[in-house]
Amino acid sequence: MSESMPTTPGPHAVPQVAMSTMSTLATRTGSWKYQRPVYHDRVAPCNARCPVGIDIEGYLNLLREGRVDEARDLLLQENPLPAVTGRVCHHPCENSCNRRALDGAVAIHAVERMMGDLAHQRPAPVFKGTPRAERVAVVGSGPAGLACAYHLARFGYGVTVYEAAPEAGGMLRLGIPEYRLPRDVLDRDIARVTAHGVEIKCGVKVGTDVPWSELTSAYEAVCISTGAHTSRALDVPGENLPGVRPGLAFLRDVNSGLRPSLGERVVVVGGGNTAMDCARSAMRLGAKVTVAYRRTREQMPAIKEEIEDAMREGAEFVFLANPVEFREQGGRVHAMVCERMALGEPDASGRRRPVPTGETFVIEADTVLTAIGESAALQNFFTDVEGSDAGLRVDALGGTSRNLLYAGGDVTDLERTVADALGAGKRAAIGIDRHLRHHAGDTAELNALRFADGNLSAARWTGRDPVRRTAPVNDVVTPDDVNYTQFRRAPRHGDPHLPSAAAVQSFDEVNPGMPEAVAMEEAKRCLNCGVCIECDVCMIFCPDAAITRTDGGAYVIAMDYCKGCGICAAECPRGAITMTQDRP
Amino acid sequence: MSQVRIDKRIPQGKLVASGHLACPGCAAPLAMKLALNTLGSNTIVVMPASCFTIIAGPWPQSSLQVPVFHTAFATGPAVASGVRAALDQQGKHDTTVLVWVGDGGTFDIGLQSLSGAAERNENIIYVCYDNEAYMNTGIQRSSATPWGAWTTTTPAQFPEASPKKDMLAIMAAHNIPYAATATAAYPVDFVEKVQKAKAMRGTRFIHLLSPCPPGWKCGDDEGLELARMAVQSRVFPMLEVEHGQRWRLTMYHVGESVEPYLRRQGRFRHLSAEQVAHIQAGIDARWAQLVKRVEADSLVGV
Repeated sequence: MSESMPTTPGPHAVPQVAMSTMSTLATRTGSWKYQRPVYHDRVAPCNARCPVGIDIEGYLNLLREGRVDEARDLLLQENPLPAVTGRVCHHPCENSCNRRALDGAVAIHAVERMMGDLAHQRPAPVFKGTPRAERVAVVGSGPAGLACAYHLARFGYGVTVYEAAPEAGGMLRLGIPEYRLPRDVLDRDIARVTAHGVEIKCGVKVGTDVPWSELTSAYEAVCISTGAHTSRALDVPGENLPGVRPGLAFLRDVNSGLRPSLGERVVVVGGGNTAMDCARSAMRLGAKVTVAYRRTREQMPAIKEEIEDAMREGAEFVFLANPVEFREQGGRVHAMVCERMALGEPDASGRRRPVPTGETFVIEADTVLTAIGESAALQNFFTDVEGSDAGLRVDALGGTSRNLLYAGGDVTDLERTVADALGAGKRAAIGIDRHLRHHAGDTAELNALRFADGNLSAARWTGRDPVRRTAPVNDVVTPDDVNYTQFRRAPRHGDPHLPSAAAVQSFDEVNPGMPEAVAMEEAKRCLNCGVCIECDVCMIFCPDAAITRTDGGAYVIAMDYCKGCGICAAECPRGAITMTQDRP
Repeated sequence: MSQVRIDKRIPQGKLVASGHLACPGCAAPLAMKLALNTLGSNTIVVMPASCFTIIAGPWPQSSLQVPVFHTAFATGPAVASGVRAALDQQGKHDTTVLVWVGDGGTFDIGLQSLSGAAERNENIIYVCYDNEAYMNTGIQRSSATPWGAWTTTTPAQFPEASPKKDMLAIMAAHNIPYAATATAAYPVDFVEKVQKAKAMRGTRFIHLLSPCPPGWKCGDDEGLELARMAVQSRVFPMLEVEHGQRWRLTMYHVGESVEPYLRRQGRFRHLSAEQVAHIQAGIDARWAQLVKRVEADSLVGV
């Protein structure tokens, strides 16, 4: 609006009109608002649900930005064995992924596996904290023991791990078959732990070769992670017949390189991961396999993909079948008598309880492998440590009822998965560190180390969390908080598979893994729930032009003009803006 | 990256200043921000009486950082024709003349002057931001108010009894170079339409659905989501028509049920299930007709 325009009548003059000469910036419309937007980073559900306590959203975001080494380091801050968990974890992260509501969860396991394998080629620098004088013993080198030792080493402690078996790995080596977890992959992940200065003494059984009392006197703290190695008994007639054997013992044989003879027909009893491992291993030994489970497929505790793979490879499933007797012929098991079950009311686990119908039927079998659960055998052990048949009782930091005796993994009464064991090992390490430093903290302080109600973060415990979140708020982003219209559909990349006919011919890894480039693309499917990635949506949609982007990338809201309409919070793709009525 | 990268495709600019007087959550200034930053500063806005007369700010302030000519209700296109002629006389052919009017000034009061300008194919861009009633004067119904809606002149006992006027078809029937629907809730689609219009000459018409939280009786932060629901339920399909001939849908429409869209707005809360079904049937019929028109026109050569 030209101010030189004449406003008084005269030759060639325009008539006098009301003409604006200034902008509306003089009007502070910000005074209208009763609420204001705040950039608050929140917790992605994957992070909250990860039993290990990995900052999944954090490392996926670093991958999106192409900061691959930083992503690897962030992952390794929490998880010593990503190449293992990328292959065998039951990935509750994916079950909670908010992308499920759009076009399928991000294949986090595939990205983690790719990162784990990449970390073998490009190892992260070994991190060691300020050295501490105290030494810690860890009994058992399964995932819980390895995690505890790894984190303690990174906190600066000298750690010795005692392992009864000839090689380290616990259930990862003795329980999980090679077609799911190749031994060289496991070896390389374990090598990361020993690279941190952890000493692993294999072939030493504590309680037999070394008395427990020696450990407690020679070390400042002890962590028990001996696992659960006793297959639960069925308690039915004929269970002790030759040919009926615990599935775990069978897996231990196969995983030690033995090839036990099974006969033609193998029946596996159970619906968990051990049952699936038994079934698929037996098929690889040439047997025709039938899985008998007392509930239905929906209630099977095994990982969904494992069930699908077992079916694809030719295992037959008989559901609602409960063994009641084993029949003998020629001094060996010959058949399994089952009672037909029906589904009743939900039990304590929330799954519908199988109830007997009285009807029976027979499945012929040359070998029966039982896999209905495992329990921890606690022989030659301290009598004063609290526990039950389900395992040792531990507190939030893995502490048992005995001072400076910690425990984690299947030996405790908590969830029995690889991820839970890794998480428990980390908790015990933090518990031991906290105790030995005489660090008195409260529950609130511990909760600040968690992603919402998830596991503790070692990065946060050591103050080395590289992810600087904006005024973090510890609540989880739900699908309602995500604005799905801001995302383009991009279907989930699937895992490759060996053809089933070929797969059952050997113990080669069934899933050759997503190619690196595909996994990197998959990482970019992450919605970055709750974390601002500077996508400009808030700035573009603000009707009051009150949001600007600073040179540093962060946004500034001009509170003098923001009317508090909430459109920025509603339009934010990922729930990283919250409306508040609090005064600044 | 699976997020729709809107930032790269939305022109950034400062042609709409903060401190304007739109209600919180009004989509009209957002649309103006997108339109003006796309058209650039070499633009003159002609603005008949509407909410935006107020939004633009009280004298001596103006929220638009380009010249604005406030005019009487019925005269937008006529004034714009004059402004265009004056600019052309001065050789300023590349200055865009943008008429920015509400639904009342388009569907009712300004219809004859708009029809006249379109018939003469005046070289102007005309944007009708349609909030579906006379919102500024107190939510009185207009001929853009949809059937069944509450307004202060069509109370819930006697809601709006006429269907919404099909303004896009009326304008397309003038065989103008470009007529399109849009909404600020799909900013990339809107910006692309403005760019397309800017590259053409003659009368170009954009019918913009513009949610009004006080008039629609919805939350301040719900307007854009409602606009997307209106599109996806085919209440307000995203279209463009060139030379009155070629009809084209500019995005995929899911075809969601209209009921959630209606139930989220206080102005439709009184509707019975039968009335909702009636609205749905009307949408389905209009969509079927539209699909035929789009298909038929896709068979016609350029």
